Amino acid sequence: MTRSLIAGLGLLTLAAIPHFAMAQDGTDDLIKKGAYIARAADCMACHTNPGGKDYGGGYVISSPLGDIIASNISPSKTYGIGNWSEGQFAKAVREGVAPEGNLYPAMPYTAYSGISDADIHALYVYFMKGTKPVDEAPVKKTNLPFPFSQRWLMAGWNVLYASGKPMPAATTQEGGAKRGEYLVNVLAHCSTCHTPRNIAMSEDQSRFLGGADLGGWHAPNITSDPVSGIGGWSVEDIKSYLRDGSAHGKSQAAGGMAEAVEHSLRHLTDSDLSSIVEYLRTVKPVRDPNQKVPGFSFSTPKPADIAKLDAPIDRSPDAMTLGTSTNGAELYTGACASCHQLNGQGTHDQFYPSLTSNTIVGGPTSQNLVMAILKGVDRATNNGTVAMPAFEGQLNNEQVAAVANYVLSRFGNDALHVSASDVELLKRGGPKPFIARYAHSMSVAGIAAAGLFVLIIIFLLARRKVATR
Amino acid sequence: MTTQYDADVIVVGSGAVGSNAAYELLKQGKSVIVLESGKWIPRWKIVENFRSSPRKGNHNDPYPNQPWAPTSFSPDYIENTGNFKFLPGMLRLVGGTTWHWAAATWRFLPNDMKLRTLYGVGRDWPISYDELEPYYGRAEFNLGVAGSDTQDQSGQGGAGQFPHRSTPYPVPPEAETYYFQRLKARLAPEGFNFIHEPNARTNQPWDGRPGCSGNNNCMPVCPIGAMYSGDVHAKHVVKMGGKVIEDATVYKLEKGSDGKIVAAHYRTSDHKDIRLTARYFIIAANGLETPKLLLMSDVANSSDQVGRNLMDHTGMGLQFLADEPLWPGRGQVQQGGIFNWRDGEFRREHSAIKHALTNTVPNRAITQHLLSQGIVGPELDEKIKDWAARWVDISSVFELLPNPENRIQPSAIRKDALGIPTMTIHYNTDDYIERGAVKAKADYAKFVQTMGGTVINDNTGWQNRDHIMGTVIMGNDAKTSVVDKDCRSWDHSNLFMATTGVIPACGVVNPTLTGVAFAIRAADIIAKEV
Repeated sequence: MTRSLIAGLGLLTLAAIPHFAMAQDGTDDLIKKGAYIARAADCMACHTNPGGKDYGGGYVISSPLGDIIASNISPSKTYGIGNWSEGQFAKAVREGVAPEGNLYPAMPYTAYSGISDADIHALYVYFMKGTKPVDEAPVKKTNLPFPFSQRWLMAGWNVLYASGKPMPAATTQEGGAKRGEYLVNVLAHCSTCHTPRNIAMSEDQSRFLGGADLGGWHAPNITSDPVSGIGGWSVEDIKSYLRDGSAHGKSQAAGGMAEAVEHSLRHLTDSDLSSIVEYLRTVKPVRDPNQKVPGFSFSTPKPADIAKLDAPIDRSPDAMTLGTSTNGAELYTGACASCHQLNGQGTHDQFYPSLTSNTIVGGPTSQNLVMAILKGVDRATNNGTVAMPAFEGQLNNEQVAAVANYVLSRFGNDALHVSASDVELLKRGGPKPFIARYAHSMSVAGIAAAGLFVLIIIFLLARRKVATR
Repeated sequence: MTTQYDADVIVVGSGAVGSNAAYELLKQGKSVIVLESGKWIPRWKIVENFRSSPRKGNHNDPYPNQPWAPTSFSPDYIENTGNFKFLPGMLRLVGGTTWHWAAATWRFLPNDMKLRTLYGVGRDWPISYDELEPYYGRAEFNLGVAGSDTQDQSGQGGAGQFPHRSTPYPVPPEAETYYFQRLKARLAPEGFNFIHEPNARTNQPWDGRPGCSGNNNCMPVCPIGAMYSGDVHAKHVVKMGGKVIEDATVYKLEKGSDGKIVAAHYRTSDHKDIRLTARYFIIAANGLETPKLLLMSDVANSSDQVGRNLMDHTGMGLQFLADEPLWPGRGQVQQGGIFNWRDGEFRREHSAIKHALTNTVPNRAITQHLLSQGIVGPELDEKIKDWAARWVDISSVFELLPNPENRIQPSAIRKDALGIPTMTIHYNTDDYIERGAVKAKADYAKFVQTMGGTVINDNTGWQNRDHIMGTVIMGNDAKTSVVDKDCRSWDHSNLFMATTGVIPACGVVNPTLTGVAFAIRAADIIAKEV
């Protein structure tokens, strides 16, 4: 009995060897290539829970309809994708159809549909032979309300919206704008967040990369438009933003973009970053007709009244305790100026960035400013980790609005105004799209009929839950 | 019939020690109520209180001093009767006095815990370093401590890590300031061992805190929350479903018929009295208020040691001008120091000594000094510029021995606005530290000489260091100590003290980390019993 158990274990060990045996047939190179593609496609951001095992799944993707739990995509035969053939793998990645059934489009398969056959092969080899099996299922399970619980309904939506074709491998080689197109549109799936969606929650191609809201944040316009997009950014501005999440005097990454920088973009080669820039330069400009100047063009702070800033305060113990002031100047000097400085200029080295010359302060919308105040920033880059504390526990909605309005009025777009209810709405993830509000009642009333399932794509609005330690 | 309780555990005090105890209990599924005499105050407000204050050198000044929750600086709150005016900076707000510490988070040495056995003076701890070691690791993790894993922290010039650690520091040490580098470069060849100070001013993002950016304002308030303060875990407690009740000054612990504590009574600022029950009680109201509460409640004192053996690292200082610009004040307010006198046979004769290099921006102190010399006008400007570059400030601490006559008691006559007694403290320095002072002054002379210095002040007299220990002393014997090695009262099996007041021999290192480690250990023990 014992002996046969040992023998059995021996066999198991033998069976496991091919997984990690480094063959002479170029497997090493394929694994390396696949690992890089996995980085560029940012698989880990969703399929690895912070603090969990690589590709073991479990990350909670919070959508307005409920939580979607990223699956285990490690080569575990029981809990992962260890039994999948390359064909099945390709179908799941590019078409959203796994052996077990349809995926929700929180998995960006509409973008991944363009992955070349060669890269799919490398990706498959990487997952099968270059990663370790995680032999456990994510603790939480996806559990969505009807009608969104009906995964099969995705099939109809896929017919309409997921019809991309793989790009030929020959066109995706290193260097040049075509490589950039492949990175932007396929692997890095930028348009998933940056392109606004139509009523069926499919990307509106007429405003491709023209900016969109998700989870309270605004993924900005990254078209070549010099006013509303990033046409006015230098090559180095864009590359430094992708690499470190920061372009001095332009903007800094927070929210989902900070995660994209941390998990994916900063790991790309300099050549690939150049390709991305080259391609973005060619993207058709989308102009916000209400925007007259670029968001970073507000470079001069309006002066502060020093006498008022340093005025004596009420030093009675009750007044010194009370933290409910809605005086924006007072809140700014107490909560913000230690880092961003009195005149919003940031520190000399821009480790603490300026609020002047900053798109989130001077741009056409205030929501990223409000979200940064509420949620803070936590971003690992190749140039150190950047963190700003979250203020939602320290300032109430009125106070967040007051300090945001102070910042807008002194350092940026003073035409914008934030109210406490705006702050509350963003805290809750921003306005819910039509489908999230009405899908259930429509389906119950039987109105939806055949077209309803189309609307399920709401999940593309998935916003990521900030990982808590 | 089962008894109903308001909570499994009531924790009195929401400072670093109490909040960590509550947090650990919640992690283990227990229900917890934390009672705090002060209030929640957002950081931005404290920063504003600081910015607008003309009294920048007074570390209590940005914090409210309520008649119903007086800080130690409230006039007449502490009455002194000994030869030394014992007056630590003690705050009343959620998060406690770690709002203004410098966040030094040392471990004690194994030998610190065997002072009596090894050197024949003071007391031994009833617990060994090895037994406490894992809890030091957990405390360091909670606080996000930055430290060196490779130094001999005993200051004896050993080659590698000492004392032993089972887990690395969660955060690597920050870079050395130029000031620290230069002093080390010139003084180390004279035989002085420089050690990096482990500290809870994280230099990388940790638990929602940003990395330190060198505001050099650890005291009286870190404007960005990089430095740990107890409110971090008080907030965690609330997030995890625990209760933190502010404006709740506990004035009485109620004894049951079975010798256990059955309830805590607290009073609000509008004089409402409320009684809360629990299975277990942790008193984490710092080293002064904890014994005061026990004495007022007439509990836990069969040994007659409650409030006695009061110890601080009573210290002195040296300020001089070096012969070269050292640029103090860049980075954090302290970074380490000289530890040759941390341990050795000499402890039979005189106290251990720590020389810390103070790295506070010196302009205020210099200006004050120059003005007091009558220097004004362009000469004042010139001198501030010159001196501020060359200023060296050494802050030394000494290991006082536990003495039952050094004690804190509730005032027999005076009361605060809630009708709760204020405190009376009797504190005398001893010959053990006087003999240490002679050695320290010899070091001072050597520092000044080596740095080509000009002395500004080498005779400060004894100073407070705000490290309160000994008042609910820990020991092996119920007759001579207040708590056992688990921090449990010898007299009441469901009553624990979580405070630096349990420390029975005080070494020379800042005690808060040890208080937190003991609190985590006590929480583990309580969680098993509740």
